[in-house]
Amino acid sequence: MADEKWGMVIDVDRCTGCQACVVACQSENNIPINDEGLFNQQRANQWIRIERTWEGEYPDVKARFMPVLCQHCDDAPCEPVCPVYATYHNTEGMNVQIYNRCIGTRFCANNCPYQVRFFNFWEPEWPESLKNQLNPDVTVRSRGIMEKCSFCVQRIRRTGRNAKRDGTVVEDGDRALNPACSNACPTGALTFGNLKDENSAVAKLAEKEMHGENGRGYHLLEEMGTHPSVIYLKKVDPTAEKVTEEAHG
Amino acid sequence: MALTRRQFLTTVGGGTLGAVIAAACGIPEDELFVQSPAEMPEDMVTGLDNWYATLSHGFPTSEGVVVRVMEGRAKKVEGNVDYPINRGRHSARSEAMLQDLYNPDRIKGPMARVGERGDGNWEEIGWSDAISRVVYQLEQVSAARQNREVVLATGPMVSHAGVVVDKFINAYRGTHIGYEPLENTNLRTVMKNLFGQDRLPDFDIENTNYLLSFGADFLNTWISPVRYMRGYGEFRQGDRERGTLVHIDSRFSMTSANADENVFVKPGREGLLALSMIQVIVSSGLGDPVAARDITGGGAVDLEQWAPENVAEATGVSAEKIKHIAEQFATHRPALAIGGGSAGAHTNGLFNLTAIYSLNYLVGAVNAPGGLIFNPAPATDDLADAEANLKVGSAADWREVIRAMTDGDVKVLMTDGSDPMYGLPGALGLREASYNVPFIFSFASQLDDTTAMSDLVLPAHTSLEEWGTDVPAAGPGHQVVGFQQPVVRPFFEGRGEELGTKSMSDTLMAIAGKLGIDLGLDATDIKGVVENAARALFNENRGSVRADDFRAFWAGVLQRGGWWDTDSVANAGTVTTKQLPANAPAPEFAGPAGSEGSFHLVPFSSTSMGEGQGAHLPWLQATPDPLTSATWQTWVEINHKVAKLRDIREGDVVRVVSAFGGDGITAIAYPHPGVPTDVVSIPLGQGHKAGGRYAEGRGGNALSILADRLDDETGALAWAATRVTIEKVGDWKRLPKFENNNPDFARDENQRIIKITPTDS
Repeated sequence: MADEKWGMVIDVDRCTGCQACVVACQSENNIPINDEGLFNQQRANQWIRIERTWEGEYPDVKARFMPVLCQHCDDAPCEPVCPVYATYHNTEGMNVQIYNRCIGTRFCANNCPYQVRFFNFWEPEWPESLKNQLNPDVTVRSRGIMEKCSFCVQRIRRTGRNAKRDGTVVEDGDRALNPACSNACPTGALTFGNLKDENSAVAKLAEKEMHGENGRGYHLLEEMGTHPSVIYLKKVDPTAEKVTEEAHG
Repeated sequence: MALTRRQFLTTVGGGTLGAVIAAACGIPEDELFVQSPAEMPEDMVTGLDNWYATLSHGFPTSEGVVVRVMEGRAKKVEGNVDYPINRGRHSARSEAMLQDLYNPDRIKGPMARVGERGDGNWEEIGWSDAISRVVYQLEQVSAARQNREVVLATGPMVSHAGVVVDKFINAYRGTHIGYEPLENTNLRTVMKNLFGQDRLPDFDIENTNYLLSFGADFLNTWISPVRYMRGYGEFRQGDRERGTLVHIDSRFSMTSANADENVFVKPGREGLLALSMIQVIVSSGLGDPVAARDITGGGAVDLEQWAPENVAEATGVSAEKIKHIAEQFATHRPALAIGGGSAGAHTNGLFNLTAIYSLNYLVGAVNAPGGLIFNPAPATDDLADAEANLKVGSAADWREVIRAMTDGDVKVLMTDGSDPMYGLPGALGLREASYNVPFIFSFASQLDDTTAMSDLVLPAHTSLEEWGTDVPAAGPGHQVVGFQQPVVRPFFEGRGEELGTKSMSDTLMAIAGKLGIDLGLDATDIKGVVENAARALFNENRGSVRADDFRAFWAGVLQRGGWWDTDSVANAGTVTTKQLPANAPAPEFAGPAGSEGSFHLVPFSSTSMGEGQGAHLPWLQATPDPLTSATWQTWVEINHKVAKLRDIREGDVVRVVSAFGGDGITAIAYPHPGVPTDVVSIPLGQGHKAGGRYAEGRGGNALSILADRLDDETGALAWAATRVTIEKVGDWKRLPKFENNNPDFARDENQRIIKITPTDS
């Protein structure tokens, strides 16, 4: 087994909903341009998205933000339903999508409780000049293929290869290793790293918040038993009680 | 040995079986990696990447970025970890610099107008021809050399491009006017009046305990959002006790959404509310006693008139709430009060901001940790001059320029792509007045609304192709000079010398050369000017980059993306507490009164596209608005209950009409529970008349229907002082939004995902 289990801690108390992660992801991962028609068809593709939830109403109103991406579940509901093994679990704890195996049944998307899998209903198109920006490390997916957050696996591979070449080790927090979303986040809400390395920032945060006293850690839809690699930290809100009580009558 | 067919098949079969067993043991994991998204065999990457440090400009504070370049193409933008403003973080807008560089609708060569102005017919001409035409026009002016015959409108810039512009325009005794869409004139005036500062301060949010913000959407678009968000992350969950954010606004903004307590105030009454809080703090003895004495002029100002009970009705905030917030603010130090955005955009905007920032006197937040941190003058003399000479135009200044145009005094108008014809209220009449200007030319990379109205277009490089510097609009509390270098060759370089794009500064210097004007720059191009600036910093021998010889220093500043000196802070001197205004002026509004079923219009900058600067970039068009998740269109936010009463549903196309801007604009209704009942909000950024396939003819421009109401004292545009009516036009259009793209998660009431108090798990 590998020495890595990649994971992420998302501190919702830091997240402001600014969308920097969303655009960083689109730039890094060659996500097709979501034009107006795709939004209207409800087929827009965002590997990471910000969920917004209303609580209460004017004048006692709150809006909550939560970044949602592939949770890279240890018991991923998407994996066993793929008839062609296009989605599988690698030894580093990541849920990986193999594009050239995918035949587009969309069973995986149907089975994902987090709604983080996206299907290419159309052939992606860029004007010729914009193609200059495309990341050469990431395949452009064609029509009929399912895709989703890969934890920027290309960065993990590249840093691993470079470290091997240079005889060094990949260090925790290396910006070349971190996913694009995590590097961009202005408030530092997204911490990425190796959960198996107990000295890594992500492992320390996970330990403290999941098992420590007054920890804020939880998993999204924990009751599903999917055992995600993404840990969320609760929003702190001293005034929430009032609003939620009123909202629920 | 002869191999029989049977032996052959046995051997091969065994081998295959072995491979399958090996696979089952997990051995070929590496092989599976090869088929992972990173390394498809057919497009294996063999190249190496380089990361170059440069700057992302103008949103409105620059960010330091590093750009990944492979085989001469820019691939990815990330934050520069060294740069003091953003320290490795970056906004969606910086990311989209790539789409600016590779935009399919970029102007590829100099163009001259064919036919009527604004018709959109152009012919491509060569650079020599284009420069000759400009020189000819300017020669006509220089014969007369009257004041104001030449007007140059650019974005506000304190940089070496600004130095070039400043020297050029001085040669003509012309007018250089800095254009800022939602101007901060009142904010700058308050900094000068209250604290004697010539520039905006930094806000030490990370070290604040209690942050009181009035109207300033600082987590979204105001002044320097990435810098503020960086502080906000630490403010929330850094090493210190979690800070408290109270946001007071007349609309529900992204900052409201992130506040611990969100207080709605009646538009234009923010200053009155602040005065009431001052009254509470002073009367209860919670404030600094010397400041409390000075702020009232030793009792000359009657604070009692603003006691919470007396202002509750006018502000729409209960007396109990005012008292509570004031007491919390005064007792949870370090505390900081900031204000701006819509709070300063009323006819009494200067008063509002004066009252708000005066709160800082009482809690010792003036130039202190966790409070306002003053910024020093720029590090070099030429930048200091450029800053001193820069006139960021208030609406009153623009009115004067427009009057000069109407009178036919302006002979040449130059712009740099900052697009004032899009962003100034239609009521000011810039577009109409421009017909009286004989010659308009524009340095721009996109055919924006102003460039589309010009006679000649001199295509400019984008940020990633040119040299430059920048002093951040709101510095980090010490001296910084950001350095910008081209990270790729100009994209249209292949079109030869006569076509393609050039740096605006280089073009201005070439024009000056042809006119025989000595700009006194000791360089022939902007790269030389930037290099000279680096030499001046090298000679200072201080700060973040030092070297034995200039070559090493030059490499150092380019590698680190700039130079800064954390020891070089503002010499604040003694800041004396200024007395409060004796009276609280009421805001005035333009348009139909509330009794006629009208609303306050509070426009706001788009999270991604700002005030339209990012409209030509598809990533930014497609970035969901944080609160509505809407994209690509203009929507109007209206209270959901009010909408129901008026039978307005999401998707209904409504016409928003003020007393200005003709028939108004149409927008798609988006009712939501956060909007105050007497307010409607419209995002800026859309409604361009030109701008290419992604920007043009999309949505409406709320700026075009604003009243030309100004602040009584400073002449700043009161952009939140317009009242509008709303009527359905009978159409329905789906709002392109990300919401409902995925089904909602089922909420488990037993699984609380919000921690109610800091000790409750």
